[in-house]
Amino acid sequence: MIHSDLIRGHLESVILKLILEQDRYGYEIANCIKERTDDRFSIKEATLYSIVNRLEKRSLIESYIGEKTHGKKRRYYKITTLGRAYFETKKEEWQELREILDTLLEETS
Amino acid sequence: MKRIRNFVKNTFKDVPKETRAELIEQVTQTLVEKVEDLQEHGLTLDEAVNKTVIEFGTAEDYFASLDKAPNFFGRIKSIRQYRNDLLFSIFGALIIIGMLVFSNLYYTPDLIWFVLPALAVLWWPLAVLYHFLNKKDKLEGDDEDE
Repeated sequence: MIHSDLIRGHLESVILKLILEQDRYGYEIANCIKERTDDRFSIKEATLYSIVNRLEKRSLIESYIGEKTHGKKRRYYKITTLGRAYFETKKEEWQELREILDTLLEETS
Repeated sequence: MKRIRNFVKNTFKDVPKETRAELIEQVTQTLVEKVEDLQEHGLTLDEAVNKTVIEFGTAEDYFASLDKAPNFFGRIKSIRQYRNDLLFSIFGALIIIGMLVFSNLYYTPDLIWFVLPALAVLWWPLAVLYHFLNKKDKLEGDDEDE
């Protein structure tokens, strides 16, 4: 189980990526993370929702009320142009970080 | 769903007033959506609400992801405030002691009595200085920890 502190700085990117794939509502995002990581990483939903709220305040995503099944309302989030650009920068940052860590932590043979 | 709303209200009861209502509204909606989803997957209302409440976490979890910037400013302010307290107490003590010396020398120049009350007054800035140094050490200690 990965401690949430390790991944906290990258949660914004994770959430943006999930919303980039398709519009999603709050619990769907939490569920997606859980399913995709096979429960190896669990994040407090409170933390997740606060990041989603913050992304919306910064206009990286925007919300609209949509209908799911049986006419039940859901607040869906969709990524904005600004959000896309931000995600791309973050992704590049992450790739760079990964390369650096690989270089530093891989065993030299 | 009333239980969800009460839970959210209770969780965020210490949040500043300006943002509280909006925050409660948003979080409640998300949690209600989750309860509905869980019900669709076959849970009873009670089970769904319990699961939602347990998995949500606390207000600390909610604010854990936020930037530390506000704290940082708060800290600078508090050090400065302690310093102001100290300056105030030093000047206050000096004025009182000055008046004591003046009235001593002016009215009863043969008897030096101002030392004792002056000593008592000195405890005021000393106590503030003690607090100030303690606070400063603690805050600087925090900096090293981070």
